[in-house]
Amino acid sequence: MNRRKRMLNDLDQDIRDHIELETQDNIAHGMSPEEARYAALRKFGNVTRVQEETRAVWSSAWLEQLLQDIRLGLRTLPKSPGFTAVAILTLALGIGANTAIFSVINGVLLSPLPYKNPDQLVVIKEHDSLPNVMDIQRQTRAFSQGGGINVDKMDYIGASEPVQVRVGSVNAGFLETLGVQPMLGRIISPGEDVQGGPRLAMVSNYFWQNYLGSDPHAAGDTIQLGGNSYTVICVMPASFALPAEHADVFVSLVVRDPRAGAERDLHFMHTYWRLREGVTLAQAQADIAAIDRRLAEQYPADEKERKSQLVPLHEWLVGDVRSALLVLFGAVGLVLLIACANFANLLMMRAVAERQELVIRAALGAGRGRLIRKTLTESLLLSVFGGLAGLLFAKWGTSLLLALRPEELARLSGIHMDTRVLLFVLVVSVLTGVVFGMAPAWIAAGVDVAEALKESGRSTTASTMGHNIRKILVTSEVAVAVVLLVGAGLLIKGFSRLRSMNPGFNSANVMTMYLQLPTTRYREIPKQTQFRRELLTRLNSLPGVQAAMVTDIPLGGNYVGHRFVIDGRPPVAVGGEPKVQTLSVMGDYFHVMQIPLRVGRDFTPLDREKQPLVAVVNEEMVREFFPHESPIGARIRWAGDTGPPQWMTVIGVVADVRHSGLHQPTDPAVYTPFSQSDEGWRRFMTLAIRAPDTSPGLVEEVKKQIWSVDSLIPVSDVHAMDELIAVSLAQQRFNMLLLGLFAVLALILAAVGIYGAMAYAVNQRTHEIGIRTALGAQRRDVLRLVMKDGTKIALFGIASGIAGALALTRLMASLLFEVKPTDPATFAAVTILLALVALAACYIPARRAMRVDPMVALRYE
Amino acid sequence: MSTKEEKKRIELLQGTLDLLILRTLLLGPAHGHAIAKAIEFRSDDVLQVEQGSLYPALHRLIKRRWISVREGTSENNRRAKFYGLTAKGRRQLVVETSKWDKLAVAIARILRPAEPGAEQEGKP
Repeated sequence: MNRRKRMLNDLDQDIRDHIELETQDNIAHGMSPEEARYAALRKFGNVTRVQEETRAVWSSAWLEQLLQDIRLGLRTLPKSPGFTAVAILTLALGIGANTAIFSVINGVLLSPLPYKNPDQLVVIKEHDSLPNVMDIQRQTRAFSQGGGINVDKMDYIGASEPVQVRVGSVNAGFLETLGVQPMLGRIISPGEDVQGGPRLAMVSNYFWQNYLGSDPHAAGDTIQLGGNSYTVICVMPASFALPAEHADVFVSLVVRDPRAGAERDLHFMHTYWRLREGVTLAQAQADIAAIDRRLAEQYPADEKERKSQLVPLHEWLVGDVRSALLVLFGAVGLVLLIACANFANLLMMRAVAERQELVIRAALGAGRGRLIRKTLTESLLLSVFGGLAGLLFAKWGTSLLLALRPEELARLSGIHMDTRVLLFVLVVSVLTGVVFGMAPAWIAAGVDVAEALKESGRSTTASTMGHNIRKILVTSEVAVAVVLLVGAGLLIKGFSRLRSMNPGFNSANVMTMYLQLPTTRYREIPKQTQFRRELLTRLNSLPGVQAAMVTDIPLGGNYVGHRFVIDGRPPVAVGGEPKVQTLSVMGDYFHVMQIPLRVGRDFTPLDREKQPLVAVVNEEMVREFFPHESPIGARIRWAGDTGPPQWMTVIGVVADVRHSGLHQPTDPAVYTPFSQSDEGWRRFMTLAIRAPDTSPGLVEEVKKQIWSVDSLIPVSDVHAMDELIAVSLAQQRFNMLLLGLFAVLALILAAVGIYGAMAYAVNQRTHEIGIRTALGAQRRDVLRLVMKDGTKIALFGIASGIAGALALTRLMASLLFEVKPTDPATFAAVTILLALVALAACYIPARRAMRVDPMVALRYE
Repeated sequence: MSTKEEKKRIELLQGTLDLLILRTLLLGPAHGHAIAKAIEFRSDDVLQVEQGSLYPALHRLIKRRWISVREGTSENNRRAKFYGLTAKGRRQLVVETSKWDKLAVAIARILRPAEPGAEQEGKP
């Protein structure tokens, strides 16, 4: 290539030099300069032709021929618009669907995280407390940096109405671990991240733009957060976002809440760590295990069961989505296979139909290789056009995916067509063109000229071979469609199971909203209780409204667990007590949510402060801890209490609630009255309001009531309970919709494939059918003749499809809910559906065969 | 167009130009114009080489790696490309020459069947 370039670049100069030399020779021989130049030019010949011929030496013959083939293809394809359109459309569907899914995979699984050296970032799966995080920071040899965060809400006064902002309580080192450089100001230093340190706030770009007016001198401003003044010390760049959560303000945990920050057993921080250069994950895991052992020895009461597990950040983020995306990618790949089989089929029919032309070309001396290349070029042209059209489909499909995306696919927002996606399309298109153009090309090459010319175009060896390949292709199409339909069927069945799951409460006509009391004015429990009671009294006096409150609403995403002890049971080692979900309620909570009471009694307004402590448990709690006795009257207390034991008496049992998601098992749970809870940090609550009309008007009315009790309480997370259920089903719905869409696509493509093959076969056999009819065959016999072929293909296809599905659906077991991957009902339904579609696809051409007029058919040539 | 002088010159057979170039370069590297002159001179001006046709031929030989090219200075101190035989080209010259000899003999035999040399070769 290099030689070529060098030689051709100098060609003009070489020619000029040559003519110059010749001219001077001529002058030396006594010619006048003008005459000499003229003679030299004449002797040299046509300069342009010389240049062209010289260039031609270097241009490869195959390239020229390829261009010739492409020109030929571009000329001939529009001459059969039907064929061309169907071929391109088929491929565009297959390639488009693949590209859409690939761009999601590219954005979610393949693109690196937007942090410095993201490969070094790991998380510890378990939450941890600040003292532990700081011990790990001190003791580690595997991590260069690390830190923890807990995101919750604080009210911010300074906007037009009191709002809640998401605040990340961190320790020094957290932001450095992610490697973020502030846009303005500086990050908090370890010296300031101490008890009694200054109240400093680091704010997000969003906060800066919306609440600080994008002031370039915002560093040094004072803002009111949770009733305290904080000094803004830095603004984050707009590109910065936490890996998994969202926060608009970052403050030091130990400055904001010295008590929570000092509790070793309060494991609520989520921690990120950066591996030192050259340290492997296994080495880091060993390092953290050693630290765990030391902490367990040092603090047996709190840390006895420590077992920190390291996970690379990227893996931790995409873990749940990964398997779903890979299954979808596999499914969409199968769709492409079907599309390709149809494409190959079309090409082959065309190759057979164009046999006459190929024969003539071969007879005129076109080599076998040349014929193969011509056919391949044509299929490549089609596949590249299909790829281009597919890109359009993909663009449209990706925006559809974005609209449907569940919360877990939050990283989807970064999805776009980058070079990797374009490369993917190119590779898929070219591979499709070459691989699936191969069979037709061989048929073209297999043309026996002498034989073909003799027969003047009835069935030849080439077309029989093509016939067999076509049958195999259509059979595999049916098989692949079976696999996809079974997969989709399983997901649909699982989803309908999930939908019909009883969540344990009645979600209809229930509104929920989240309130948090400011620390400064509601530090004492009596003050909190007074607010709660006052608010509920006001809300319940609204006509038709029933209101109650709970710490964590089901499907709301929050969960608190505590260890507990049962009175009279053999003592358990400290730190090894069983854990239960812990909820506080006030008002007629079970009644509002319609959670049925199974045994005993509900809370009454008399179960309040200074009265005997009571608790209501759920059925799972009874199954697990009171399997052979009545829990009513049993006494339990929270583990780790200091001072005299605070025994609570179990007074009732309520039905199980699916708190963490319809597909998640229920944990044992204990409900206690808010007014008897002695945990002062629990200043938050979720209102549950049942009303015949849950319109925005009601929400406004409720807000008005809240603000009439305390005008500075922010209200957030206003959701209908039905909405929370829909959100919790989003991922499953997403999987089901997509796989269902692919399955329908596959079914249509396979039906078109069967129809095309049968229609073509009938067309080819018109002559034969005519003879049979002339010899006395009944229409019924003709029907049977055609249907026999089609049925054979369908049955073989379905049988191998079922075998394939049995092998493949195991891979999607993790996506299924209460459905076995081998669910017989789904398999049976798919078999029947496909058999019906296949029969219908055969029947149309078969009917045409029945109507064949023997006279016309025999004349048909 | 044709003049008297040109009429006594002979057009080259296709492919023979390659052979002539290789043979010319056996004497040592030369630049394009010199090769053309050498061919004319050594054939006593009988062979008519349209000088331009030299260039596609030179490029063809370079592509086949029968000759190589390097920069140099021509007799009147100009930068020019000097073409030289490669080892491969040397071998090819032997092959081509023997091919040419066979061809010449065969054609001569057809054109002048009476010649004794041809008869000797024709009999086993």
